[in-house]
Amino acid sequence: MADEPKPRAIAAYRAPESRPENLAEYSYVPEALRGLAVSTGHFLRNLLFSRDPSPDVIHRRGPNQVTTVQYPEEIAPYPPGYRSMHRLVPRPDGKPRCVACYLCATICPAQCIYIEAGEYEGDPIEKYPKRFEIDELRCIVCGFCVEACPKDAIRMDTGTHTKPTYDRPAIIYGIDRLLKGPAVSHQTDVWFKRETSAPPEEAHAHPIPRSPGDEPPG
Amino acid sequence: MGRFVRMSLLGVLIAAGLCLWAWLGYVAIDWAGSATFELGWGATLGQAAAAIVFLQLLFVMILATLLMVAERKWSAAIQDRIGPNRARLPGLSRFSLGGIPHVLADALKMISKEDFVPAKANRLLFQLAPVANLLPILCLFAIVPMGPPVPVRHAFGVLFASLQIANPDAGLLYLFAIASLAVYGVALAGWASGNKLALLGGVRAASQMVAYEVALGLGLVGMMMTTGTLRLDAMIQSQSAGLFGTSWFPAWGLFVQPVGFLLFFAAAFAETKRTPFDLPEGESEIIGYFLEYSGMKFGMFMMAEFVEIITLSGVVTAVFLGGWHLSPVLDDALASAAASLVAWRFAGPPDPGAAALTLAVFQAALFAVKVIVLCWLQLAIRWTFPRFRYDQVQALGWRFLLPLGLVNVFATGLCLLLDSSLGLLGALGLAEIALVVGATLWSSSRPAALPVAAAGGH
Repeated sequence: MADEPKPRAIAAYRAPESRPENLAEYSYVPEALRGLAVSTGHFLRNLLFSRDPSPDVIHRRGPNQVTTVQYPEEIAPYPPGYRSMHRLVPRPDGKPRCVACYLCATICPAQCIYIEAGEYEGDPIEKYPKRFEIDELRCIVCGFCVEACPKDAIRMDTGTHTKPTYDRPAIIYGIDRLLKGPAVSHQTDVWFKRETSAPPEEAHAHPIPRSPGDEPPG
Repeated sequence: MGRFVRMSLLGVLIAAGLCLWAWLGYVAIDWAGSATFELGWGATLGQAAAAIVFLQLLFVMILATLLMVAERKWSAAIQDRIGPNRARLPGLSRFSLGGIPHVLADALKMISKEDFVPAKANRLLFQLAPVANLLPILCLFAIVPMGPPVPVRHAFGVLFASLQIANPDAGLLYLFAIASLAVYGVALAGWASGNKLALLGGVRAASQMVAYEVALGLGLVGMMMTTGTLRLDAMIQSQSAGLFGTSWFPAWGLFVQPVGFLLFFAAAFAETKRTPFDLPEGESEIIGYFLEYSGMKFGMFMMAEFVEIITLSGVVTAVFLGGWHLSPVLDDALASAAASLVAWRFAGPPDPGAAALTLAVFQAALFAVKVIVLCWLQLAIRWTFPRFRYDQVQALGWRFLLPLGLVNVFATGLCLLLDSSLGLLGALGLAEIALVVGATLWSSSRPAALPVAAAGGH
């Protein structure tokens, strides 16, 4: 006769089978006291010693073990490679590297980039953006625009994100607010080779066409 | 290190504030007693009224309100957080003041919330339940003596001003009677809400409170036998002696009745319905008997919880921690310190009345410090232990605490029969404490400690 397996009890939940090892554990009191000692240790350390406010939580020093970062006052830096808010990369002369090729606007899955291209007088090749606007409310921060850009003209390396605002037009960022950060130039940049490709000064002098409400913050 | 100094200063300030509070209490009780005596109403009436105002309104309610924010701040400290610090007072927006402005914010929130009554609720009982819950718990504090009676000079004689609202001979029996009334508020709240989950919470609360009332009583029977009285002030008086004939080892209930202390503390903790006994609330699954309550009615349930914590601390301090006594030697030292303080402050002939008042103020502050430490202990317990399963709660009450309480009563009786001077009982109690401490140290030495500190402490 083969042993038939015992039918399992039908229950929605089976309590764990682990039993207390010894009488001290069974009486619950010593283990409870040990737990209290742990709590008390944390309490006293955090009560009596001040907190290291360094935003680098992992490397905070001192007996205080609080890991909170008080956000608006203390800002933990994002790790390198983090996709933060866009910027239009300037050339060394302060004008955008963008050549208004529409690749970013084309690939953007949220269709949040609006570009109006302008042409240089007498230069049939090069274009420049007369308007370059990103609707930061629609942006899903996927980074495709950065990948698509053939001119390294848009990057997501600012380490910040869009500031909250109370009106929608103010969150559509134009060139005046997107063009910031350190300038970038590559050996392959055309203006090192052709004098004529320099954009005319008046193309970026004020007023840059702006959407209503697109005021610089502050 | 600056924070260490600041926190130490804060502790000193709190102690000084408690002294000031006790002094104000005595002065007010004295003044109210003499004023009503002049009106022909009898000094005791005025004293009782002043005691109610000073103990209930100025100590219990303020402490309960502060405990609400202390629970948030202390739990944050236990869990390595900062806790609420964003509510600021106007004009002081640079200082978080330890989160205390959140008291005002919470109160404003509760008062201004919608006072909601569910459609299926029994309106009358629904409105009545928070009151029926809070009222008995406020009444409980009446028998806690917050300070020694002190003779105060008076135009018509001498008044014994006591920081105790009522001092019935029944003493602890009053405690049991009123504590069992608190079940009604909870059960009513659960039933009158017209909500299945609230009803479940109410039923859980009722059965849990009934189960633990037995252990609550049995935990105190040992101390009643030891001190031979039911009155809390007499219990405190009998704990002022030294144990084993020494003058430095206090005959606190904690040392002669450690099992009784454990029983009473656990049972009373279950009566407060806080973690690990918060099955009636069970906020993660049923929310409990106050599920349908909003605004200040919910606030009354919450307030009742904190008043219960203070009352439990007061009773435990009076019954098990020697009340306002330390040990005979330290008591004498405190008395001589008070006398020399009075002599230094008021040059002139020795004034026994002023010295007695000063000593009483110190002792009342000492009592308050013990109460606050016990409140902290309860909050620490609440933020340390996970919730029991419901069968575990009932098993702990009926199959562990109840037999333990009976055994404790018989053991206490046997010890008292053999040696009525508490020596044998004290030895037994110290042996029990040593057993628990030894088991704790032994069990903590077994598993390899996690190298938390070595890994940076985070």
